[in-house]
Amino acid sequence: MSENRALRRAHVLANHILMSRSPSSKISLTREVCLQYTPPEVNESYGFQVKEMRKLLDGHNLEDRDWLYGIIIQSDLFNRKERGGGGKVFVSPDYNDTMEQQREISMKRILYLLEKGVFQGWLTETGPEAELKKFALYEVCGMYDYSLNAKLGVHFLLWGNAIKFFGTKRHHDKWLKDTEDYLVKGCFAMTELGHGSNVRGIETVATYDPRTEEFVINTPCESAQKYWIGEAAIHASHAIVISQLEIKGTNQGIHVFIAQIRDQDGNICPNIRIADCGHKIGLNGVDNGRIWFDNLRIPRENLLNSVADVSSDGQYVSAIENPDQRFGAFLAPLTSGRVTIASCAIYSAKVGLAVAIRYSLSRRAFSAVANGPEVLLLDYPSHQRRLLPLLAKTYAMNFAANDMKMMYVKRTPETNKEIHVVSMGLKAVLTWHNMRTLQECREACGGQGLKTENRVGHLKGDYDVQTTFEGDNNVLMQQVSKALFAEYVSCKKRNKPFKGLGLVHMNSPLPVMPTQLTSSILRCSQFQKNIFSVRERDLLERYTSEVEELQGRGQSREFSFLLSHQLSEDLSKAFAEKAILQAVLNAEAKLPAGSIKDAVGLVRSMYALICMEEDPSFLRYGYLSRDNDGDVRREVSKLCRELRPHALALVTSFGIPDAFLGPIAFNWIEANAWS
Amino acid sequence: MASQSQVLVEDKSSVRILTLNRPKQMNALCSNMITRLLQLFLAYEEDPNVKLVILKGQGRAFCAGGDVRPVVGDIVQGKWRLGADFFSDQYSLNYVMATYSKVQISILNGIVMGGGAGVSIHGRFRIATEKTVFAMPETALGLFPDVGASYFLSRLPGFFGEYVGLTGARLDGAEILACGLATHFVPSTRLTALEEDLCRVGSSDPVTFAETILNAYTQHPHLKQHSAYHRLHVIDRCFSRKTVEEIISTLEKEAIEEPNEWISATIRALEKASPSSLKISLRSIREGRYQGVGQCLIREFRMVCHVMKGEISKDLGYRAVVIEKDKNPKWEPRGLEEMKDNMVEQYFKRMDEEKGWEDLKLPPRKALPSSIISKL
Repeated sequence: MSENRALRRAHVLANHILMSRSPSSKISLTREVCLQYTPPEVNESYGFQVKEMRKLLDGHNLEDRDWLYGIIIQSDLFNRKERGGGGKVFVSPDYNDTMEQQREISMKRILYLLEKGVFQGWLTETGPEAELKKFALYEVCGMYDYSLNAKLGVHFLLWGNAIKFFGTKRHHDKWLKDTEDYLVKGCFAMTELGHGSNVRGIETVATYDPRTEEFVINTPCESAQKYWIGEAAIHASHAIVISQLEIKGTNQGIHVFIAQIRDQDGNICPNIRIADCGHKIGLNGVDNGRIWFDNLRIPRENLLNSVADVSSDGQYVSAIENPDQRFGAFLAPLTSGRVTIASCAIYSAKVGLAVAIRYSLSRRAFSAVANGPEVLLLDYPSHQRRLLPLLAKTYAMNFAANDMKMMYVKRTPETNKEIHVVSMGLKAVLTWHNMRTLQECREACGGQGLKTENRVGHLKGDYDVQTTFEGDNNVLMQQVSKALFAEYVSCKKRNKPFKGLGLVHMNSPLPVMPTQLTSSILRCSQFQKNIFSVRERDLLERYTSEVEELQGRGQSREFSFLLSHQLSEDLSKAFAEKAILQAVLNAEAKLPAGSIKDAVGLVRSMYALICMEEDPSFLRYGYLSRDNDGDVRREVSKLCRELRPHALALVTSFGIPDAFLGPIAFNWIEANAWS
Repeated sequence: MASQSQVLVEDKSSVRILTLNRPKQMNALCSNMITRLLQLFLAYEEDPNVKLVILKGQGRAFCAGGDVRPVVGDIVQGKWRLGADFFSDQYSLNYVMATYSKVQISILNGIVMGGGAGVSIHGRFRIATEKTVFAMPETALGLFPDVGASYFLSRLPGFFGEYVGLTGARLDGAEILACGLATHFVPSTRLTALEEDLCRVGSSDPVTFAETILNAYTQHPHLKQHSAYHRLHVIDRCFSRKTVEEIISTLEKEAIEEPNEWISATIRALEKASPSSLKISLRSIREGRYQGVGQCLIREFRMVCHVMKGEISKDLGYRAVVIEKDKNPKWEPRGLEEMKDNMVEQYFKRMDEEKGWEDLKLPPRKALPSSIISKL
């Protein structure tokens, strides 16, 4: 009986493989003939306008992006290599360079881009347009090499933005233009050996000396040494120093200072010690360093004083009385970092998927029938299941990243909280997604994925840091849950309807979910929205009641949060995934009826259903029955088949120039030929 | 008959020597010549007896371009759609050459401009001589570098392609060899011997054979002292800019810092060219950088149809009518600032509102999709 069933299934599978793409006569490969590379374009067709889809995905500044791609591709400084015949050119860093060489070439590349005017206005221009342009160019740099991106991030987004946001006119006049022109090279000294995500706990101290009107900065112990400071080991001339401020024996909490750390000749300044963080698993083009301060004296004016100031006679003045709020104000610039990290993660995932999917559309393995042609990798249902849901997720998260960027550049004091919470959630979820996608793509490319020239594998090492910097992902996700908790409690306490953080659905009665899930129900956007809302709502209620119960039993609020970590994890994930689904729905709603809308609809359903299949919460808390779960799973498989014909168009729509992908994405036989 | 004699054919065992034979018009390609070349090239591809195709020009030009005078006549009479057929055929020929499965050797012994580049640069081997004068002069005519130039110019080192395409700068044999437009350089006195040797291909592998012969003949000429190619770094600095306006302002800055004849000539050329041409040309080269040769030709066909229809600018017709007589052309739009982004955008759109208009249909090639790269 069971043998019969197995046999039948094998038949079904074989039929399925054979039916799904009838191999065209042109490419029939027999054993006698050597394998020939057939570009995916020969047998695949585009079911929608890829140019239009690209506009939707990139969202803004397409011409600026293309311009910068060209600047990189046309320069020998970016390690141009001809591979695969037909004048096919590829650019990617030479990872065989030593750490020292990678750092030097990264700096040279930055200066080259500077000369071409790439960074023009990055700090001196304001407004949504300037910011979006900066984001676009920044994303392109990250696709070439994340080291380049990280170095720029340190200089412009951390050092530069700190001056912009915490400084006042005197600082802006003195530093912004010079920073934009790289006359000063900045770094951002916040993290310490003993304190990373917990910024409040950092131990570096600045005390005010009214006699000389200077601050004296000290590293009181080894754990207070500044650690992982990008650009500090070699290149930076100046540093933003985040330090406790002590005035007349009173600690006023963390504040932001400017210190020169190297002279014009690049020698380390007196009263400063700098050491290298050493070789890393990736991102070796960035010179991370460690800094100690030994009674370093800096002028009073070097306190960035938009939030708080110290008068010459040593009086502490701040417009923000509450130290908690003051602390929050100090961390605001990190938001822009998170926004760009999340969007860059998606561009990295796109590179991985474009390479792996193009390869899977030209590489064959095993025949399904004796002496038959070998089967294209992407015609295996299992291969589809590995890559296509990740592709759909990447699309969905792309839309979410775009919405977040728009929200950020149009920020107002009213939207700050929302941006803060959303950017924490998306930063964590999108960077995790990138890592997972890269690993799957690497494996999907087989051995070829191991070669750095094919990009996918190496991106893992380079992008791994994203899950840690600018807030450890797990810590950020806990913050998301805490923010939702606070919102919930505050609305309930004041008996007010929910407004922010996408919780409006909590004001309506709980949607009634159908017990039978047909294909059309599963693909219905209202159903998808409802079930994501039900999950979020239920988890939020469970989480708050668990925390409150623990508090009722005498636990402190903080400790109750910690004990509820399981629900916290489920909740923050539910929140982020619902925000992403909403972003796809928003994008879809704006589209006129047609092939692009249909493709986005397919992608959206795949996104919704794969989230349902993967998150155990749906079964654990009963949002889906076991039967429902089976229906979801079958539908995912169906969606894989339906997305398969669009696979090439979907990755072509990423708009990544061929030169930014690896040789295996193109004629990999020619690229590996003897000559 | 006329078309036969406008393209001379010599049968040398497995080699075919085609000579563009319209010397008074500097071998400018008329519609008949294009059709004839297309016929011949397609036939040779099928003919197992043919291994090499040599293309050259009669007289002091290889080919001075496509003969657009009849097209301009059509445009003036409001019949631009007739012109579209001319370009459609020409681009199809360019495409066949770019994806040609046999070996094409073009001998660029004289003037190579516009359409002349289109029938040679896409081929496997391009032989420069001391007599070669290469230029893409379209921006001075109200057109843009077409015939697949957005493909081959965009693939030149750095931003040399933008320089050549926007300024119409003239390059000599040594320069086109240095930048890769030519693959070999053979002094004109040795061309007869070279041809004879090439005709001995016999049963050997044609690519290896031709390569061996050409390598034996090729020389490494010195770039002249004032060659633009010595100024690649300045060209990169200026022509890498995002917009035409920025390119010019960067050149002007350079000119102040280090005035010289080359830079003033470059600025003059840009100031004289049609503003609409400059802007669509820059965008075309930039887009071409990420496209296959087929996609480039399809896009260029859209562009040339817009140019002929003249909705935004009538520069092509105007300039050609008063050609050569007018030293101070009056372009419309007159200045770069008047040629707005959305106007540029128009040139890249399909002409769906135009009844019966269709995108360029590339001739089918053996298992080669239109996006697949050519040989440059």
